[in-house]
Amino acid sequence: MWMYEKKLQYPIKVQNPDPGIAKIIITQLGGPDGESGAAMRYLSQRYAMPNDMVRAVLTDIGTEELGHMEMVSTIVHQLTRNLRMSDIENSGFAPYFVDHTVGIYPVDASGVPFNAASFQSTGDPFADLNEDMAAEQKARLTYDNILKLTDDPDVRDAITFLRQREIVHYQRFGESLEKIRDGLNSKNYYAYNPAFIPRPETK
Amino acid sequence: MVSDFVLLETGLFLDTHPDNEDALAFYREYLKMRKEAAAEYAEKYGMLTPMDLNETGTWQWVKSPWPWDIEEA
Repeated sequence: MWMYEKKLQYPIKVQNPDPGIAKIIITQLGGPDGESGAAMRYLSQRYAMPNDMVRAVLTDIGTEELGHMEMVSTIVHQLTRNLRMSDIENSGFAPYFVDHTVGIYPVDASGVPFNAASFQSTGDPFADLNEDMAAEQKARLTYDNILKLTDDPDVRDAITFLRQREIVHYQRFGESLEKIRDGLNSKNYYAYNPAFIPRPETK
Repeated sequence: MVSDFVLLETGLFLDTHPDNEDALAFYREYLKMRKEAAAEYAEKYGMLTPMDLNETGTWQWVKSPWPWDIEEA
């Protein structure tokens, strides 16, 4: 169960509209390495996870990613307030505008809608946690690239916070992977899936 | 709220270090601050969660500003 807190995880006050950078940043809502995929990935992976500490990590980071969806949406929303039609026509924002006006819809920077095929829940803790660590690095990289594309201090402040969270999450997932590895017995040296052992067939 | 972030970050550390005494003490200290600050916030500015109803006689959950529009309000 979740309960909403009527606040952002980190304050966002973007003063100047910039629909061009909004169209770039929205990829962290709906793109392949965005926050929607992150939240669904971690929250879905919990059920097959055989370790209590790692269940907690997936729950807490998955929950935080829901807050990051709200932060990215807020940045895009504030960047697209009070627009002139010429801002929309001259910024590359028109293809988004024609479908969504200034509503928030999860797409990547090229306009491709969010796709759950961008993440996995394999039922194998090693496969899942390695994906999670890679996912945090890919999200960090996307934020790095966004920082290369904007000078706006209000936007950079929020993006820098989100980037830093990816680094902390990567650390916690690395520790999680160690916990799972430490829990293996001598028969499972090669780290095959410790979360699923078929029940023997009965007559 | 600063204390919320401290609690989230420390809680995440405790997930993989659940017996770390320093971290537990640190968490307790900030949890106390957080509870006091949240009660003060709810009294002054309205509801942070549906569990924060105060004595104003109205369901403040529906009142602006919402988090994404804080600066415009």
